[in-house]
Amino acid sequence: MPERLINHLKERRTELGLTQAELADRVGVTRKTVNTVENGVFTPSTILALKLAEALDRRVEELFSLIED
Amino acid sequence: MTTMTDAERADKLVQRRTRMLPVLAILLITQQGAFLSSTNDGRTVDHVKIAAWVVMAAVVLLALVTGGGWIFPKRVRELANDESTQLHRLQAMRLGFINAMLTCFLLYVLGMFTPVPGRDAIHIVTTVGLASALISFATLERRALRDA
Repeated sequence: MPERLINHLKERRTELGLTQAELADRVGVTRKTVNTVENGVFTPSTILALKLAEALDRRVEELFSLIED
Repeated sequence: MTTMTDAERADKLVQRRTRMLPVLAILLITQQGAFLSSTNDGRTVDHVKIAAWVVMAAVVLLALVTGGGWIFPKRVRELANDESTQLHRLQAMRLGFINAMLTCFLLYVLGMFTPVPGRDAIHIVTTVGLASALISFATLERRALRDA
């Protein structure tokens, strides 16, 4: 069954008042990578997902979830 | 004067690289065109031209493999070659490899009808492979930078 990864990165980031650049700086990637993750263009590695979760003070499952198409 | 952080410098490097890649591809193809349209009859100038093309192709390959930005500090280069960039580079190099192989097949078939000198074939295969990888990498990076 086809599944799609969705994320709540942008909502959480704006909730904390962070810019893409600030979040990128916290996790050690470029703004471009944060942008592509937020837009669902790029699926991050487990390491990056964990870093994002830590930077946004959320569990990975709260930021990323699978939905059925 | 404000000093840029490593992240800001990496962002600048990514943007500059994205703009430069298609230019490199055009330069490579243009040089290729000049090689094929000239008669290489062993003059010194021909050897210089061939050597220049080999050096350029090697530099482009190195830039593609390493991500370039060699004059920047290690931390900036690491940031500019983060996860999404590595994925884009791999996708671009895969396309370049496939296109190079397809060009080999085409040249092989062409060789059945007309002689294709080895050096010309190498030029064509290298140019197609490198140029298509460069253009693909630039396209993927530009798409990722959109709305960033």
